[in-house]
Amino acid sequence: MKESRLMLIQYATAVVAVALVSVHLIMQGVIYPYTTAISFSNILSIYNNGFYAVFLEALLVVVLVHGFNGVRIILHEIRQTRAWGTWVDAGTVVAIVVTVGYGTRTVILAVFGGSPA
Amino acid sequence: MPDSMAVGEAKAKNRRGVRAWLNPYHYNIERWAYFFQRVTGVAILAYVLGHLGDTSFFVGGPTGTGPNPSAWSFIGSIFENSFGHLILILVVLVLFFHGVNGVRLILAEFGVILHKPSAIEYPYRPRGLGHGQRALIYVGIAIAVVAAVWAFLVLFEGMG
Repeated sequence: MKESRLMLIQYATAVVAVALVSVHLIMQGVIYPYTTAISFSNILSIYNNGFYAVFLEALLVVVLVHGFNGVRIILHEIRQTRAWGTWVDAGTVVAIVVTVGYGTRTVILAVFGGSPA
Repeated sequence: MPDSMAVGEAKAKNRRGVRAWLNPYHYNIERWAYFFQRVTGVAILAYVLGHLGDTSFFVGGPTGTGPNPSAWSFIGSIFENSFGHLILILVVLVLFFHGVNGVRLILAEFGVILHKPSAIEYPYRPRGLGHGQRALIYVGIAIAVVAAVWAFLVLFEGMG
């Protein structure tokens, strides 16, 4: 993918992340008191609400793509050889896939994992 | 040979990498903002990865199979204390600076808050960096401090 397009993805994910993280923080410290927000029953009810489960998945993808692409940009700034660039790009894709996969597993198990153990 | 050595030395000088970030000689506020945008970005990513790990304990951790109150209580006993809350306040501080400064960078990238180009004259101040975008750096710092105070009140004073 062209570097200019990757930069546009970086900006787009930044704008979306600002919106999603703002909502996430408001839910943690404004809508509910913090101790209520992190209680097991409250989080379970959030995951059981389909809208919020999709919201959390979107937050996960957007923040991780933005974060790892940002690190990729820094690493490209530090050194500019073809081999370095290839490894950095490949490593970024692997890091995004692994971390999004792990986070998605949490969301799926929270939504479809049955009643609390 | 001497020419190629000179070229090599010049390349090495220009390839200072991360060390160049740590040399604040002749930094202006925009250069500091560049430095902190990268440092806070890496710090936030590190926090997000940790958060990914601790939230997975809601479903029992890496080997869990579904919602698990005892695993969630266990991870809460590790992180829900004064030190953990202090870390969260720092995260809020850098998160808000990174967000506002990032919006500034996007606006600058698309030319929204840049001055029109003009002839280069002594004392060679960067005229493209208009007052609007410089003010946004200070706005970012102010919003970050307010957000950190809000986080302190939520976490330590039970506000919210």
